[in-house]
Amino acid sequence: MAATWFSAPAPVARRVRAFFAPVNRAAQTPVLFDPSEQGRFSLDAPPAPWINLGWVQDFVRKSASKSAPLMTGIPAAPLEQVRETLEAQVSLQFLSWTKLTMGLATGSQHMNILAPANGAAPAADGAQASPAVIPQSGSTSTSIVLALADAAKFTPGAIIAVDVDYAGQTGYVGTPVAGAYLRQALTDVDYVRRVTFNVALVSQVTANGLTLAEPLPGGVPAMGAKVQTVTGFVDREGGSFYQEWSGLFVMEGSQGERIFFHYPRLQAMAGAEEAVSPLNQKNQGGHSRVLLKGQFLALPVTDPLDGERVACYRSFLPAANALV
Amino acid sequence: MQNAKDSFYMTLRTRLTEINPQRTILVRGTVRPGILVEEAEAPFSQFPSDVFVLRWLGLAIDMDLASTMTGEQCEVVYQTCGTQSFGGLDRGRALSAMDEELMTMIKPFYAPKLNYAATPPAAMLTQVFWDEPVFSPIVTQRDRLSRSATVLVYSYQEQGE
Repeated sequence: MAATWFSAPAPVARRVRAFFAPVNRAAQTPVLFDPSEQGRFSLDAPPAPWINLGWVQDFVRKSASKSAPLMTGIPAAPLEQVRETLEAQVSLQFLSWTKLTMGLATGSQHMNILAPANGAAPAADGAQASPAVIPQSGSTSTSIVLALADAAKFTPGAIIAVDVDYAGQTGYVGTPVAGAYLRQALTDVDYVRRVTFNVALVSQVTANGLTLAEPLPGGVPAMGAKVQTVTGFVDREGGSFYQEWSGLFVMEGSQGERIFFHYPRLQAMAGAEEAVSPLNQKNQGGHSRVLLKGQFLALPVTDPLDGERVACYRSFLPAANALV
Repeated sequence: MQNAKDSFYMTLRTRLTEINPQRTILVRGTVRPGILVEEAEAPFSQFPSDVFVLRWLGLAIDMDLASTMTGEQCEVVYQTCGTQSFGGLDRGRALSAMDEELMTMIKPFYAPKLNYAATPPAAMLTQVFWDEPVFSPIVTQRDRLSRSATVLVYSYQEQGE
């Protein structure tokens, strides 16, 4: 008779997959992951709005919550335990440098370096930018319709930022992800496009506009959005803004089991830092991979199930036919 | 991976013709730069002297990156008996000259990746890059001095490769 179950040992997994989703800062709403409905999603195609950041390494999660005994009697003996503090931290190394991984791995605003205007005075964050152009109606998340003269300003291989003009507002700015928090009004009309996460690579330029190699994270350009060329990225040590994202980390075991670590609110807790890893361990002086180090503090949410304040959910989906 | 191997070889070959255009070899009736790929020639009973022979050995891959990275181990083998006009007494100098040519050929440590299966060769999106060569000690066999240098050649797999 064929066996219908097996006794599963501890999961055996390789690296950890990381997925992040933007927290709505203005509404203070994190993105939730439901293991009952989404637990078997394809790791290459996560459910929206989770963004796949690929494999990460040196993933370490640490509980810094503290409990203390409530003492009673003579001599004193523990009667109960109480949770004094709730704190958790996550650290990891990203295996790629993208707008999002750089943004996550810096402790403050992460800015786009906009293509400079002719003759603009030098600035550490990038000089005054060349004027933005206006997308025409019919634009999509992967295609930006432009006037002929505007399309001629772009080349295949360029990076673009798509967001609205800065108009003196304060508070969180950037669509669809808050890229900065402004306490006082600025004068730079391009500031929102400097901090926006709504960037993409141009794969093709035609007389009608731009074809993008990847969809814009913000989808169809919003009303009032404009387009500018990005030449690179810059972040700073210092500043008062903290990135906040929802994080989901997945370890897939050799038998198909899955371990999820879901942090509804992760804030970057350290400045930008890199780790260097030699490609050939036998040749420490040879080429080395430069990895972005991310360190995060988990902030609590209130679980509507029972009103408890929690910082992380760990879920486990066992392998098929494994004893539990 | 073949594109990376081809690009590495063609880069060294192009650089060699600039460094020492006199280093040539007659192969199947054609004079070519003095650098060959072992696996692309008829089997050798003994490696030819005074030319560089590339042998592809180990392969390592890292599939956890956004683009798969490959590291291919290339051994560059070369040997010399010196010149007849000096009765072979200049074999040490001749080997040193090949050492220096290889060191010069290898820099800079990167090159564009091209698809040489296309005519003309088609430029690809990434570059091939490699570490410094690790030289082995000289091996002496009678009047023949030989040496090899090992280079790890890295590349990223592109779509369609």
